[in-house]
Amino acid sequence: MTQTTKQGLSRRSLIKGTASVAALGVLGAPRIARADEGPIKIGFPVPITGPFGAEAKDQVKSAELAVKQFNAAGGLNGRLAELLVRDDKLNPGEAATRTLELIEKDKAHFIVGALSSAVQLSVNEVTRARGVIYISISQSDTINEAKDFSRFTFHEALNPQMTAGAVARHAFKKGQKVAYLAADYAYGHEMLAAFKRTAAPIGVETVGEVLHPFGAPDYSAFMPRLMSMKADILCICNFGRDQANSIKQAVDFGLKGPSKIVVPVLLHNQRLASSPDVFEGVVGGANYYWGIEDHNASAKTFNDAFRAAYNGAIPTDYGTYGYTAVRSLLMAVKEAGGTDTDKVITALEGLKYDVAKGPQSYRKCDHQSVQSVFVIESKKKSEMKTDADLFKVLATEAGDPATLRSCEQLGHKPS
Amino acid sequence: MEMAASKPMTKIATAPAAAPRRERLGRWRVPLSIAVLCVLPWLLPSKALAVNVLIYGLYAMGYNLLFGYTGLLSFGHAALFGTGAYVTGIAIGQFGTNWFLGMLAGVIAAGLMAAAMGALSTRTRGIYFAMVTLALAQLVYYVALQASSWTGGENGLRGFTVSKVGIGPLSVDFLNPIVKYYVVLAFVALAIWTLSRILNSPFGGVVEAIRENETRAKACGYDVVRTRLLAFVLSGLFCGLAGTLSALHLAIVPLDSLGYMMSGQAVMMTMLGGVGTFFGPFIGALAFLVMEDVLSLWTAHWQLFLGAIFVALVLYMPKGIWGTGLVWFERWRGR
Repeated sequence: MTQTTKQGLSRRSLIKGTASVAALGVLGAPRIARADEGPIKIGFPVPITGPFGAEAKDQVKSAELAVKQFNAAGGLNGRLAELLVRDDKLNPGEAATRTLELIEKDKAHFIVGALSSAVQLSVNEVTRARGVIYISISQSDTINEAKDFSRFTFHEALNPQMTAGAVARHAFKKGQKVAYLAADYAYGHEMLAAFKRTAAPIGVETVGEVLHPFGAPDYSAFMPRLMSMKADILCICNFGRDQANSIKQAVDFGLKGPSKIVVPVLLHNQRLASSPDVFEGVVGGANYYWGIEDHNASAKTFNDAFRAAYNGAIPTDYGTYGYTAVRSLLMAVKEAGGTDTDKVITALEGLKYDVAKGPQSYRKCDHQSVQSVFVIESKKKSEMKTDADLFKVLATEAGDPATLRSCEQLGHKPS
Repeated sequence: MEMAASKPMTKIATAPAAAPRRERLGRWRVPLSIAVLCVLPWLLPSKALAVNVLIYGLYAMGYNLLFGYTGLLSFGHAALFGTGAYVTGIAIGQFGTNWFLGMLAGVIAAGLMAAAMGALSTRTRGIYFAMVTLALAQLVYYVALQASSWTGGENGLRGFTVSKVGIGPLSVDFLNPIVKYYVVLAFVALAIWTLSRILNSPFGGVVEAIRENETRAKACGYDVVRTRLLAFVLSGLFCGLAGTLSALHLAIVPLDSLGYMMSGQAVMMTMLGGVGTFFGPFIGALAFLVMEDVLSLWTAHWQLFLGAIFVALVLYMPKGIWGTGLVWFERWRGR
């Protein structure tokens, strides 16, 4: 760019250049009108860079697998699907811009993605104003509520009420004392609220709650306070690196002996990043664990396809969201016979799908995917058969709308 | 105001021979800038990006009024941008005002915020000024984080999508990207013209005089503290306008729009384009956003390349892209 300035860019060539670029834009326009015949485009904004990059990359892999399978099976009468992956940088403003680009420029028919509460809500705001179907694959309770919901909004990921609820029902016993350590942002707050909602009827006593800042590397200031609470259960509600860091320090402070450590979502990648000794005995929820393939045929099929596509790698928990969301969407597109938004919404609402983890379906009122939740425990090093043999499944809570907050509680009008 | 009556001080650091030519060119700077911006959406990869360039360009230009022209390095301009954005969103979403009143409320609130921040900070200078502005901006950030029933807290403010923009019976579809671009451009063009008038006024001269030599400006009888405060407020109005436009554009206000990264971005874009040049900050914003957009589509390691490009630009174009370009242009014309 410096070279042209130095040698002098003639006014004439500048005008010519500008005009030709503008002409190209105009010539490109007629393509838009025939968009219905082109590939089925699925926009996929996820935070490839940033603290959740590992999870996001797994989501991309899984989503690409779903698209590949759809295309290999002939697509929609020969019409193939295409995944447009974009880096939202874990920033709501960036995600909104990227989503606008996907809809306006790339003419994406559907949007799937996002991996943070704030980011998914911003994507949802853009898509619902433009009448584009969006399937969120990040945990959130807020997106189910009437205020943020629209008929274009679908939520494939579990929500805090489901994961924390399942974990609490399994791990909390009447008369026990629970102390909470939660990250001081939406994720931590929602998980904490969901635990307390479930804990109250069980008859568990809350002995204290400590909030820590998002992304805190050092938890030593919080540990003595948690120790002094003398709880039977230490419930740690945070995500990503925070989970591994806080559990490690709780173990260093000797909290694991007297209290049992429980987390709402026991993260595959964080367990891998840490050691089996640190995580040993920690109990948490999960949307997916590859180990269920022994008794779950759809998991076996999914794992095998994933292994074949990615040199024997196994799918992770958050990665699987990318697969189930895109698969369900493409099934609905097939059912609807095209990309017409209204028809696909109807198809999604009526869809029963079992593609990786057992039966799933979208609840009518809030479009939450009702699905099973696995309560898992991190294995001892000596119990691990392979490096990937991380968890043991303690319980499987089948998908049941009764475990969700009711449509009325969420502010939806009874239909 | 006494300073308005007196003549501005002579401009410093311009080669005497080049001065008349540059002035001739300078007279056309507003129409030229706007003409370039009119074709911008056709030159960039996407319309949404082009709107962002307008918004961040205005933000950086507003910032440059304080940093480049007055010589005050603020690290708290996110508070002004964010206040504009939040107040617009809250006015439309919770009080149901129309888009224009929402914008007006946003700009006024940003002006008031700038007056408050300026009153507390313009007495300090150098690193102390930077620190005070940073601290005040963080204060605003935490207020927005805590007042979640108003601001949506961590999740950001939403629920105020403006789909139609109009005055009286005339209205246009604001969801259409091209229409949106030109509506935003109308406001940005007005702001660019206003900024140019401010810089060309005697006040603009005083501001530069203070930047070059504060003691001398004081000795000449200018009220340094009040001039700085006024510059801060004016800068805040431009940045607030950028904030309100961003709220309308994205239909959300993320909490990050008050964060220190956002303040840092203003510094970065201004430096990249050229500190103290009229159109430089706009070029800086353009370069920053386009590089980020294009590189991140091309590779997952975009940060590495972006960093390398920045280092190269700082090393070889210390006056920024526009500033260095101007120097080369002068040299070429003077040959």
